[in-house]
Amino acid sequence: MITVPSAPKYLCLIRDVTARLGLSVGLEEPVINMLKLAIDEACANIIRHAYKGDTGKKIRIQYRITREAFEAVIEDSGKKVTPELLQGRDLDDVRPGGLGIHFIKRAFDVVAYDEKKKKGNRLRLVKYLKEE
Amino acid sequence: MEIEIKDYKGVKVITVSGDIDMYSSPALREELIGHINTKISVMLVDFNRVSYIDSSGIATFVEALKHMKTYGGRLRLFGLPGGVKEIFGFSKLDKVFEICGDIEDAIGT
Repeated sequence: MITVPSAPKYLCLIRDVTARLGLSVGLEEPVINMLKLAIDEACANIIRHAYKGDTGKKIRIQYRITREAFEAVIEDSGKKVTPELLQGRDLDDVRPGGLGIHFIKRAFDVVAYDEKKKKGNRLRLVKYLKEE
Repeated sequence: MEIEIKDYKGVKVITVSGDIDMYSSPALREELIGHINTKISVMLVDFNRVSYIDSSGIATFVEALKHMKTYGGRLRLFGLPGGVKEIFGFSKLDKVFEICGDIEDAIGT
């Protein structure tokens, strides 16, 4: 588990940890790159939407890696996300923004907010790993 | 991320190195918009040393492209590493941007 301040300069640290964990269980580079990008985007969304740019808060990521799945549970104590945030923009509607959720959904098989969490958000991301 | 500006055969080339993410993209945006505000006619961006790009980096280039289109300017990207090119493709932006193989292709397009 890692806890980092809610500042963009720490996103590289989150990417690095994610990549190293992926490498340690033998994931292929393209898969690692997708997971790294997706977790980066999820944390950037927290900074942007849940914390509204406040860099003095915390983001906590708990990784659970088994032979069956790569799982990350990302928590914040900010504003509750709205379901619209999980939509993203139409990819044919070319404009800045709205891509992050597409990267998250592409990388992970399960993208689910814990609705029982009273304060803040808990996002569970699961990538099922296929047996060779 | 580092940004280097040079002129190549009379065309402005922006060379970006390292990770383009939520932390670094504001500096990149400032650089690009600075040139666009001078109504630069052609701007090339060298991606050869870009190791990573996220949605905020992509958004920066989409914004730059939209600005340049308002006055007929051309923004061309070249030297995209495989992983970066794949992200542009997934985002359906490989058909929106002029993406070239190398600097000579970008100059000659």
